[in-house]
Amino acid sequence: MTGRVCRGCGGTDIELDAARGDAVCTACGSVLEDNIIVSEVQFVESSGGGSSAVGQFVSLDGAGKTPTLGGGFHVNLGKESRAQTLQNGRRHIHHLGNQLQLNQHCLDTAFNFFKMAVSRHLTRGRKMAHVIAACLYLVCRTEGTPHMLLDLSDLLQVNVYVLGKTFLLLARELCINAPAIDPCLYIPRFAHLLEFGEKNHEVSMTALRLLQRMKRDWMHTGRRPSGLCGAALLVAARMHDFRRTVKEVISVVKVCESTLRKRLTEFEDTPTSQLTIDEFMKIDLEEECDPPSYTAGQRKLRMKQLEQVLSKKLEEVEGEISSYQDAIEIELENSRPKAKGGLASLAKDGSAEDTASSLCGEEDTEDEELEAAASHLNKDLYRELLGGTPGSSEATGNPEWGGRPPALGSLLDPLPTAASLGISDSIRECISSQCSDPKDASGDGELDLSGIDDLEIDRYILNESEARVKAELWMRENAEYLREQREKEARIAKEKELGIYKEHKPKKSCKRREPIQASTAREAIEKMLEQKKISSKINYSVLRGLSSAGGGSPHREDAQPEHSTSARKLSRRRTPASRSGADPVTSVGKRLRPLVSTQPAKKAATGEALLPSSPALRAEPARPQAVLVESGPVSYHADEEADEEEPDEEDGEPCVSALQMMGGNDYGCDGDEDDGY
Amino acid sequence: MDADSDVALDILITNVVCVFRTRCHLNLRKIALEGANVIYKRDVGKVLMKLRKPRITATIWSSGKIICTGATSEEEAKFGARRLARSLQKLGFQVIFTDFKVVNVLAVCNMPFEIRLPEFTKNNRPHASYEPELHPAVCYRIKSLRATLQIFSTGSITVTGPNVKAVATAVEQIYPFVFESRKEIL
Repeated sequence: MTGRVCRGCGGTDIELDAARGDAVCTACGSVLEDNIIVSEVQFVESSGGGSSAVGQFVSLDGAGKTPTLGGGFHVNLGKESRAQTLQNGRRHIHHLGNQLQLNQHCLDTAFNFFKMAVSRHLTRGRKMAHVIAACLYLVCRTEGTPHMLLDLSDLLQVNVYVLGKTFLLLARELCINAPAIDPCLYIPRFAHLLEFGEKNHEVSMTALRLLQRMKRDWMHTGRRPSGLCGAALLVAARMHDFRRTVKEVISVVKVCESTLRKRLTEFEDTPTSQLTIDEFMKIDLEEECDPPSYTAGQRKLRMKQLEQVLSKKLEEVEGEISSYQDAIEIELENSRPKAKGGLASLAKDGSAEDTASSLCGEEDTEDEELEAAASHLNKDLYRELLGGTPGSSEATGNPEWGGRPPALGSLLDPLPTAASLGISDSIRECISSQCSDPKDASGDGELDLSGIDDLEIDRYILNESEARVKAELWMRENAEYLREQREKEARIAKEKELGIYKEHKPKKSCKRREPIQASTAREAIEKMLEQKKISSKINYSVLRGLSSAGGGSPHREDAQPEHSTSARKLSRRRTPASRSGADPVTSVGKRLRPLVSTQPAKKAATGEALLPSSPALRAEPARPQAVLVESGPVSYHADEEADEEEPDEEDGEPCVSALQMMGGNDYGCDGDEDDGY
Repeated sequence: MDADSDVALDILITNVVCVFRTRCHLNLRKIALEGANVIYKRDVGKVLMKLRKPRITATIWSSGKIICTGATSEEEAKFGARRLARSLQKLGFQVIFTDFKVVNVLAVCNMPFEIRLPEFTKNNRPHASYEPELHPAVCYRIKSLRATLQIFSTGSITVTGPNVKAVATAVEQIYPFVFESRKEIL
């Protein structure tokens, strides 16, 4: 059977039982192997008598169910998050696509779009559902299926424009040029929904023809396709004797009633609408219409022109009338000198139009002619006022006005300035105050005041009483808010007193990290570690000790002395090498330091007899340490620190004593070795 | 293409948005209570102030940042901003007029012909996008100018850009393209 040999007896007759999954030697009976994984197709017979293959299909991209050996314990253990995202996306696409009745091919394409979007990180910051809907719509557009963005937004209950935004972004980023929507696509779909029964085809054909016509008449550009479809279908239905109300149609095509009506009236304006049904089916009109909005604009323009012409004519007529009036007046003057004199005196009084008009009011019942004359006089007066002629200022007789002819010019100004309201005194005051104003304005230096009319600006600022009134009103209106604010403040104050007030931390602004600049790799790593603590389990002080100065690392004299000696040797070798020659001077200094520092230490310590020659420089610093262990760490500390004072100063490194440093080095080295082994 | 030269296009600037800083904290309530033509939006934390000459609307934030909209030219925007700063000064703030800049310009331009939007979109694919379901106009972006054009079938074009010059160049750039896909006059 197999070319194997039994381990027990050496026999070659080994039987493999695929069903049980074991291999047995037939000679001695020993089980050579069990639980063999089989790689053959098996068939089982079902109760109905049919046979089926055992196992399950695993799809190409592995997105389906993969057989898990762990028995569903850690189902997603081995899967990347990306794969999960894709699987989720696939599920959603299928779900949504089935609701839209899209075929498998479309779904696959949509999934591919989704994959592209994911790989380009376009899903970031967007809702999954939006992205998926956009992917599906993208497919609908490229494949030309009769689906609208509105359908998707209906299904998802999301604003169309939100979806549209996502869709546009996807289309742009993935460089997919979806063809423009053709409203004809939707006709069959909507026709089906409107249930025309047997005539479905005919109605939709007519609707299509209508649509084509509308397209040629420029009705479709810039219009929602569904609205156009609705109008076409409505007309087509009526043409085929179906009673479909506007409401029925709008419930299918999902546009507003007024939109549909507008489309219908627009269609009404085209020459096609003048044809009978038979004519329409036969004749294709050659000419094209302008876009409805364009013609509307043109119409508006024409109306405006007409209005202008009319108003011009009106003016002419008015001029004529006034000339007649003049003539009448002259006549009146001639016939009634007395009355005229009275009016003239009134006018000279300067009590402008008020008195005159009131006079008119009194007299009009008495004398129509007189009234006409008076009104004409008034008109003249106005004209003179507006013209700002010197004669008018005389006529008004007001010295203020006479002295300030430019103020009259301001009457023509659309803005009522202070001058026009006759408060020139206050104006003067203002001006004088302004003279002093620029001094404080010059403090800012940068605000160029040229051309700024301060008088006017003053009018944007309420005076005191007005401000008070407004403040009062405001306070009353916002009483509740103010009360709340006060309460809040009080509460905060109270909490602060009690010491339980928590200040809201300002949101951490995601500051962009400064790019790490380092000359060596070690430095770079150090800086990186500083910036983001990779793990709380790393003893950073050790790391620091590893790298350089190694200040502040704890002593570990208790550690095996022999070990430390060897370690120190190691460290000696290692530190300079690892520092990669960035600062050879300091490294040399450090190497020398233990030698210097240990000299007094050993003197101060026990009077131990040392080899005076101290042959091995390296072994020397180790010795006292080894001895000192017995004397206890505390006293050692004191001694050491006292001794180390001077060399420290020499070195110019205040906080690191040489031995400490050595200890640090040792420690670091220990750590290093631990890591190594 | 030859029609390029003989038509003069009027670009009508409808809105200029500018910002500036006062470099001082502004007490909005004080502005609201003492100024005329103001609307205090307490819940948003801003004051709207309107000037009449030039006709601008300004949004005043308490940080001292002010956004002016509604001017119809860059000079007018600057003038309006200065006037606004002056009126704030008069309200008693230590206003320093700094960091003035025009941020957005909106203009309208009418082409003397209609435009076939689908054709236009097809010809200018990566830049133009036409979604009648969402918006009746073609949206055309010019990245280099940071300008966006809304092109309507009637031939009217709305341009937004960072300044007047960019808007003018944008219209100049777009003209040959829209001319290509204009509606032929029969």
